[in-house]
Order: sequence, then structure tokens, then C-alpha cells
Amino acid sequence: MLGMEQAWLQPAICAVAFVVIALPGRVLPRSGAWLGPLAILSAFVIFWFVLSDLLKNGPATFSFTWLEAGDVRIMWGMILDNLSVSMLGLVSFVALGVQVYSWAYMSGEPRFGWYFAVHSLFAASMMVLVLADNLLFMYIAWELVGLCSYLLIGFYYERRSAAEAAKKAFVTTRIGDVGMLIGILLLYKTVGTFDISGIIHAAQHVGEPGNPLSSVMLTVSMLLIFAGAVGKSAQFPLHVWLPDAMEGPTPVSALIHAATMVVAGVYLVARMFPAFEMAPTAMTVVAVIGLITALLMSFLAVVMTDIKRVLAYSTVSHLGFMMLALGSFGVGAAIFHLFTHAFAKAMLFLSAGSVSHGVHGKLDMREMGGLRSKMPVTFACMAIGALSLAGLFPLSGFFSKDAVLGTVLAGRGPVFFILTLVAAFFSAFYMARLVLVVFTGQPRSHEAEHAHESPVLMLIPLVALALLTIGATVLAFPIAGHANFGQFIYPAGEAEHFQLWLAGLSTVTAGAGLLMGWLIYGTHAISPSFFRDRFPAVQRVLEHKYYIDDFYQWVIDHIVLGVGGFVALFDRIVINDVGINGPGRSVVQTGNKLRLHVTGQLPNYAMVMVLGAIVIGVIWWLFAVRA
Amino acid sequence: MTLLHTELLSAVLFVIGLYGVLARRNAVLVLMSVELMLNAVNINLIGYAAFTDPGRVLGQVLAIFVITVAAAEVGLALAIILRLYRNRGTVNLNEINLMKW
Repeated sequence: MLGMEQAWLQPAICAVAFVVIALPGRVLPRSGAWLGPLAILSAFVIFWFVLSDLLKNGPATFSFTWLEAGDVRIMWGMILDNLSVSMLGLVSFVALGVQVYSWAYMSGEPRFGWYFAVHSLFAASMMVLVLADNLLFMYIAWELVGLCSYLLIGFYYERRSAAEAAKKAFVTTRIGDVGMLIGILLLYKTVGTFDISGIIHAAQHVGEPGNPLSSVMLTVSMLLIFAGAVGKSAQFPLHVWLPDAMEGPTPVSALIHAATMVVAGVYLVARMFPAFEMAPTAMTVVAVIGLITALLMSFLAVVMTDIKRVLAYSTVSHLGFMMLALGSFGVGAAIFHLFTHAFAKAMLFLSAGSVSHGVHGKLDMREMGGLRSKMPVTFACMAIGALSLAGLFPLSGFFSKDAVLGTVLAGRGPVFFILTLVAAFFSAFYMARLVLVVFTGQPRSHEAEHAHESPVLMLIPLVALALLTIGATVLAFPIAGHANFGQFIYPAGEAEHFQLWLAGLSTVTAGAGLLMGWLIYGTHAISPSFFRDRFPAVQRVLEHKYYIDDFYQWVIDHIVLGVGGFVALFDRIVINDVGINGPGRSVVQTGNKLRLHVTGQLPNYAMVMVLGAIVIGVIWWLFAVRA
Repeated sequence: MTLLHTELLSAVLFVIGLYGVLARRNAVLVLMSVELMLNAVNINLIGYAAFTDPGRVLGQVLAIFVITVAAAEVGLALAIILRLYRNRGTVNLNEINLMKW
């Protein structure tokens, strides 16, 4: 019978699908692309068996020795607890929905089979990442999802901007990954294991006599591992790659850059949470980075005009919420928000894809408008997603935002809490702006006038995710013997108590944001240029994304390339010309000089021999005979 | 006749041979000069053997050995000179610079 022990089948099936589509897929009908949805469907079916086994028998780990050399013993294994199995369900479900959607969305595209092959590889590596019970194993999967992200962002690699965006995403996340690798190796060096449970055990007894892990070492390695999470989850200051990643096909943005891969950083911190908890400095850094990201990126989402970039900045901002919740000691709240956000944001991206499908590939919101009557299903889904992200009762986003806010207030105090509220306000505002600008008013382009609803195959995943966005509300209520989903995920944590005043406050905030959006973009009671005219400087800074990209570009142009140029010059002149060619050339030149004595004239040689004999004779006479 | 006489004869012969080797340009004459030098050494060997150790004939044996080797060497050298003349039409050492760089 299928159970937790067979959970490895899920990534394995998807990996096989990748290999089959990528290698002999060409000869199959439709490039063998249908193997992708089929594989992820079977993975999703297996998930239910795993889940029921988990609920019956409780968490378990399965591992085997992968590598043994002397004292070094590296295990490969999977950890199956409430957190990882829930993530497994999320990944396989969203991947399934997105693949079904892609079947219609990507039809007629070149490299149809390759698209599904990489999607399958991504699903496989993401599930491995979730299941991994040691950091080395997780790191491999971590890099694999990064690779898939790179391949899919650059799917339209004929387009220069897409190729650049893929490169940017790869390099930016790699900066964080290097930190993470150093952190993992530091932990291995001190604790002597890659096992997450072993590291957590050592961390919980940090500073005790006989424990090799010192408090400083724990903090340093946790911060380095968090650097990996910052890169992958697009936290400030490594967030710059995610908005550019929108160059990929829209379903890719929904799956990888909204629902699954970008939350890997959140998952990592949640997985290592008991260790993070023992390093208060690292926790503070997590909270502060999360807050900065949530706040700054929500402002940017307000000024973007590209529909996908609005969603991208919104994603970064909400990832910041999750990090902030983690930094405020709320694993349950963070993962709860991760789930509701994943459903809502995957749906929003798929809706955005549906919209751009309807208006023939346009992505600029200024060229849309009035699409409500032409695309009613898309409109309904997008509205539900937007309201959920805004945090309106009774959608699931309301409850998760409430949990995050409660956690932040309890864990970090009023200043963090108020700033989080500000970010939540803007979250509601830009969501209202997005929906109102796209769906209401007059069509502002020829394509928008002749928009049409998307095919059924695209609408099915949309509606399913919309229902889940509403249905995920049940996660806020008692589940499987725990007070709520957060408690289910992290039983060691304290359950969030529903506080009426907090719920009221967050509803008022969300309502205010939505109302402001309505006044500006719905009724035009306030001119959209009202704030722009009064605060041109703010507008300019926001439109330049705080000049962060410009700053990085400047650093690359002047410092990285400058140092690189110097190193290249050093290599050319000192290493190559002096070090390698120098001795060679001097040997050749010496030889050229020396060969002149070889005259080929026999008498010359004879004369030299005689002279040599005379010299030797004189020396012999002077030193041997006379002495 | 004393040891001095043989030594003087040997020295004169050696120097004449040396002069021939260095000054002559004809390869055959150079070869002949080399023979002179070898025979100067032979005289020296025999002279020392006869006057300082007359009981044994070590020097004489060595001289015969040198003559044998010299005969072989001359055979070889004359063959080389012959080939050289066939190929280049000259045995003038100034005109032969095969070993030049």
C-alpha cells in the first residue's frame, strides 16, 4: 500500500517524465508533453496516500547511507512531517493546475515539449527540496530549482530581455546561495553532520559544555543560511531579479515565481526554525529584512504599469510578510500565509496570463480597461484573488494576514506592527488599482476592445484555485487535532488566538486601501495624478525602484568590470607575457646568440681544442706540479 | 740514445702534426698530420717503456694497440673524405661547413 515510505515516488515520477520528454520525447505525439501533466497528476494522487498515512501514523524520516568514506558519512533521506507533507501537497497541486493551464496557454509555441520537460524537472526538484532531511541534499535541489527557474525565465531566449532576465535571476540568487553553502559547510565543520535534525539538536544545546557549536558560530551560520533564503525568496536587497523574471511565460511566473520556488527560502527558515530560534540576532535580521521587503516593495507595486510587475512586487512584498512572521517567532503564521498567498497569487498570475491571452499578449495595464464584461470568469477569479491578498473577510487571506499581524505584534512590538499595517494598506490599494484599471472603465486599445474569454482548459485551474482561495479559510479553524493550520505545521509554537480588535483593525486597513483605490481608479473622485503632482520626487524615486537596480548596474559597470579589467590585464601582462612567454622567449634569444659560435669550420674546432688543452696544461702545471 | 732523445723526437713530431692539423686546408693532409701526432705518442710510450722499465713490454703493447686503432680510424676517415669528395667535388676544409648552424 502506498504510504509515507513511498513519498519519494512523487519526485521520481516527475524526474522520469523530464528525462523521457527531454530525450526521446520528439518522436512521441505532441513532443510527449502530455507526460508532464500525467506525471504531476500521479504525484498529486500519491500525495493523498502520503497525507492519510501521515495523519494516521505521525511524522517519520526515511534515510539511507549515500556516501561513506572513513568518518564521513552522508545520508540521503526524506523527512515527512506536517510541514513537508503540506508543502508537498501545495507544490503538486499548483504544479498540476499550472501544467493544465499551460497546455492551452502555450499551445502553438515553439519548444512545447521542452517547456513541459523543464516543468517536470522543476516539480521533481521542488519536491526533493521539500522532502530533504539534510542540508546537502536540500542544497542540490535548491540549485536545481534555480536552474529550472533560469531555463524557464529564458524560455523565449531569442528575446534579449528574456535572456538578460534569466542571467540576472541566476546570478543574483547565486550570490545568496554562496552564503548558504558556506553556512552549510560551517555547520558541517562544527557539528559534523548535514542532518537537519542533528543540527537542530546541536543548536538547542548551544553553549552547553561538550557541544562543539558555539553561540557565535550558530548565529554566523544561521545568517549565512538566511542569505540563501534572501536570494531565493527575493528579499531586500537581492529582490531585483524577481520583477525581471516576469520575462518568462506567465504560467511560469505563477508556479515558480509566486507559489513554489520563491517560497523555498521561507520553507528553509521554517524547516531550520528551532535552530534560528536559538540565535536571536539572526532572528532579528530575518524580521528586519522581512519588514523592509514587505514595506518598500508594496510601494513599488503601486507605481508599476505592467500587470505582471505589479504582481511581482506584490509577491516580493508578501514574501517579506512571511519572513517577518518567521522573524517574529511565528512559523505557523508564516506557513499559513505562504499557503493562502500561493493559492491567491498563482491564481492572480494565471488570471493575468488569461488577460494577456485575451488582449493578444499585451501586458501594459494602460492599454487594457473595460474587460469585465468580455472576460467575466477571469474577472471574478482575479477579484477574489485581489480581495484575498488585500485581506478582506471572509477570504483566506484575511485570516493569514491576521495571523501574521498578531504574530508580529506579539513577537516584535508596536513599531513593527504599525509598519506591517502600512504595508497591508498598500497591499489592498495596489490590488484595487490592478483590478479596477484592467477590468473597469473604457477599453484603451484596439486589442482591449476585441478581447475574448480564454479557453476552458485555462479557466479550470483558475476556478479551482479561486475555490481554494476561498476554501483555505478552513485552515484558520481546528484541523486534525490542532487549534489551526499554523499549530498543525509547527506544534511547538503557540496557537494564534483570534483577537477581535486586531481583526477589526486589519479589516479597516484593508478597507481603507480598497476605498482609496476605488476613489482613484474606480470613480476618479481623486485624480490618479493627484499624488504624482504633489510629490514628484517620491514618484521619481519609486519609478526608478529606489535606484537599486541603477546602483547595482553602476557597481557592476564601475567596480566589478573595473576589477575584472585589472585582473584581466594582470593576467595578460604579468602571468602570460612575463611568467609564461618570458622564459620561453629568453631561451630562444639566448639560443640565437649562442648558435653563432657553431661555424662548421673544422680548423676552428681543432684550434679551440688545442687552446683548451693548453689552458688545462697550464692550470695543471701551476697547481699540481709547482705546488 | 737516451730518454731525452726519444722525448725530443716525440715532441718535434707532435708539434709538426699539430701544425699540420691547424694550418692545412686539405683534409687528407690533416689526416696525415693526425697520424704524425699519434705516432709521436707511440714513440713516447715506447721510449719510456724501454728506458724506465726494460723488463716488461707494457709500452710496446700499448703502442701496437694504438697503431691498430689508428689503422681502423684512418680507414673510416678516408672513407668519409672519399664520400665528401664525390659529393662536393672538394676536400678543402674551408669550403666544407656541413656542421654550421
